[in-house]
Amino acid sequence: MRKLLQYLFNYRLRALIRKEFNQIRHDRRLAFSLIVPPILQLTLFGFALSAAVSDVRLGVVDDNRSPESRELIATFTESESFRLAGYYSSVDQLGDAISQGNVDAGMVIPYDYARDLARERPTTVQFLLNATNANTATISRAYAESMIQNYDNGLRGQRIPARIQRVAGSQLGLRGQVQLQPAFLYNPGLVDSWFIVTGVLGLLLILNSSLVASAAMVREREAGTIEQLLMSPASTSEIIIAKIAPLFLLLFLMMLVAFGVVRFAFGVPFQGSVLVLLCGGALCILSGISIGTVIATFSKSAGQAQLTSFFVNPPLAALSGALNPIEAMPKWLQPLAVLNPIHHFATIVRGSTLKGSGFIDLWPNFLGLLIFTLVFVSLSIWRFRKQLS
Amino acid sequence: MSRIVAQARKELTQIVRDWRTLALALALPVVLLMLLSAGLSLTVNELPLVVQDFDRSTASNGFIDAFRASITLHVVSWPVDKTAEQALASNAARAVLIIPSHFGRDMARGLNAPVQLMVDASDANTAKLVSGDASQITSAYNQQTAGGMQAGPVQAAIRLWFNPGLSSKKFYGPGIFVLGLSMFPPLLAALAMAKEGEQKTILQVYVSSIPAHEFLLGKIIAFMAVALAECLVMSLLLFTYFGLSFAGDPTPVVIATILYAFCVAAFGTMIGAIIPNQAAALQAVAVGGFLLVFLLSGLIFPVENIPAGLRWISYIVWGRYYIEIVRDALLQGGGWPAVWFQVLIIGVIGAAFYGLAWHGMRKMQVKA
Repeated sequence: MRKLLQYLFNYRLRALIRKEFNQIRHDRRLAFSLIVPPILQLTLFGFALSAAVSDVRLGVVDDNRSPESRELIATFTESESFRLAGYYSSVDQLGDAISQGNVDAGMVIPYDYARDLARERPTTVQFLLNATNANTATISRAYAESMIQNYDNGLRGQRIPARIQRVAGSQLGLRGQVQLQPAFLYNPGLVDSWFIVTGVLGLLLILNSSLVASAAMVREREAGTIEQLLMSPASTSEIIIAKIAPLFLLLFLMMLVAFGVVRFAFGVPFQGSVLVLLCGGALCILSGISIGTVIATFSKSAGQAQLTSFFVNPPLAALSGALNPIEAMPKWLQPLAVLNPIHHFATIVRGSTLKGSGFIDLWPNFLGLLIFTLVFVSLSIWRFRKQLS
Repeated sequence: MSRIVAQARKELTQIVRDWRTLALALALPVVLLMLLSAGLSLTVNELPLVVQDFDRSTASNGFIDAFRASITLHVVSWPVDKTAEQALASNAARAVLIIPSHFGRDMARGLNAPVQLMVDASDANTAKLVSGDASQITSAYNQQTAGGMQAGPVQAAIRLWFNPGLSSKKFYGPGIFVLGLSMFPPLLAALAMAKEGEQKTILQVYVSSIPAHEFLLGKIIAFMAVALAECLVMSLLLFTYFGLSFAGDPTPVVIATILYAFCVAAFGTMIGAIIPNQAAALQAVAVGGFLLVFLLSGLIFPVENIPAGLRWISYIVWGRYYIEIVRDALLQGGGWPAVWFQVLIIGVIGAAFYGLAWHGMRKMQVKA
């Protein structure tokens, strides 16, 4: 073991690593760009991306103008989900307001609403929803339905209990009701940002490590110093390891800072073991670096490398399930997530922070990350060697 | 005038020569449109649901069948010897439905039968969708078994306007179209302008007879052409793959598109003039063009959800206004009365960028 370490960290490698560290130390912008933008992005993403549906602007057409109809309107506007945006005198006006975007939803109460209620006839309230945003519409529809249902239950409870009992007595075949009791595990407060920041973390690690790695790899070629390195007795693997090691350390530091932000600024609970999290993070950084190295072998200058990364990173980020659930993607794209390091890391982070799951639950994701990293590191070494010869 | 055209032609020639920039300008937006529309959607299908039935009666089977019929949920099998929490922890299921024993007996006796739904809430939005869906299924089941007797006195007739199929493709398509337009043309413009500064070819411009305004206009017109070509390619996709069409008067969106193309081209040129370094300019555009438009324009989530401390930034994000115009034209059809203000703002912001670019170019001359 000792011999192996000695072989791995011989004086050549140590000297090369020291050289890389010196180069990084001289490059103030690199250290700056590794710490400040990721933290900024993490906070921005976490705070700005929230799918929460609240304060939906509700326009009302009340043709009935009775205490009963006002009660129904109050049920809606008193909740946090809806907010009264204005009364309209006709459905056409309400329709115009919805299409111009002044209100998001509209409620139309018919003129015979109170009369039908008093006569115990079923009455229908029309509810119009601007469904351009499918997610908001689905959630506000569920809100509206549950509110009407609660209102119904309230009406039944206070006004016609005698009647219901009589019916129940006469009709022996009446069946009971199923009462669904939802329990929200891992995030009982339904904090939106927890999902986003745990996903963005992986996004940031991959994006930044691939960018930094491709820049570092391409720099020698751009400056023409790569020939000098090649003339030295160091082997290609030694050159690559020496390049990767300091970057890895820097990115690992960045990850720790990011974990701090996630923990303290967003209050994400760390239920599981920190070791699992750090192992996942280390693998994620390595896979990001290997993506960057492969990109670098395909480009001649830093500008080209950055442009090429535009072709690689957005698809990786979009199909990772970091910002949205995997199940929301089209069926044929879902299996591709298995090849995506961001997906695996997001699952590891969510598992080990929110759910408290350990290595036993997360091993498929670790395996996925490991295979990805191994394939890409060997690909980059192979490409690098081929270019050198 | 002829100088402006010559300048624009020179820029276009430079773009066509490099396959990377050409692909970046025309192919990548299309790929992004396809991928992001899939990658941003929040409406889920076939979420895995594990059912633990401790009753095993006809009643409980009927209740589970109601869940099997759902599109959103997908009942998967789970070994009996493992707990419900394990299914959630290992990501085998997003929710677990637990039916207690005596469920069927209680139902037959006319008692209320509680059923538990455990939802993995690490994704809060999906958790809300799941629990909303499950409660809808339950209430429909209740109404059905009660034979319509229990139907409440007040019924809601819910109409979904503009997007009745609740397809998120139609919502995200226009947004990502705007994102593509806000990202790639300014990126190319900034790179081209920064290159002039970096390689000092800007000096040749200063000693030539071309005035600053004509030089800038020539550059901007070239990248406007890129933006409009990109817009054409992407709108083809919007009209076919996304199944969108003009919902109302198309004139506001046509005028706004031309103004927006000017706005983004001027933005890129401005960044390139102020930061004469390609890598740094690229980062600045990535922040301005991508991050701001992606996060603070209502592209994915409504602007109202952004905390008030950050929300004011969204008022100066140009993409936000253009997204509203495009969505209005393709989905809501409000026409001029709904969006005249947004069109005006885009023009104002574009003019401001042009002014800043001109200012930056004069400063560059002093430095050079």
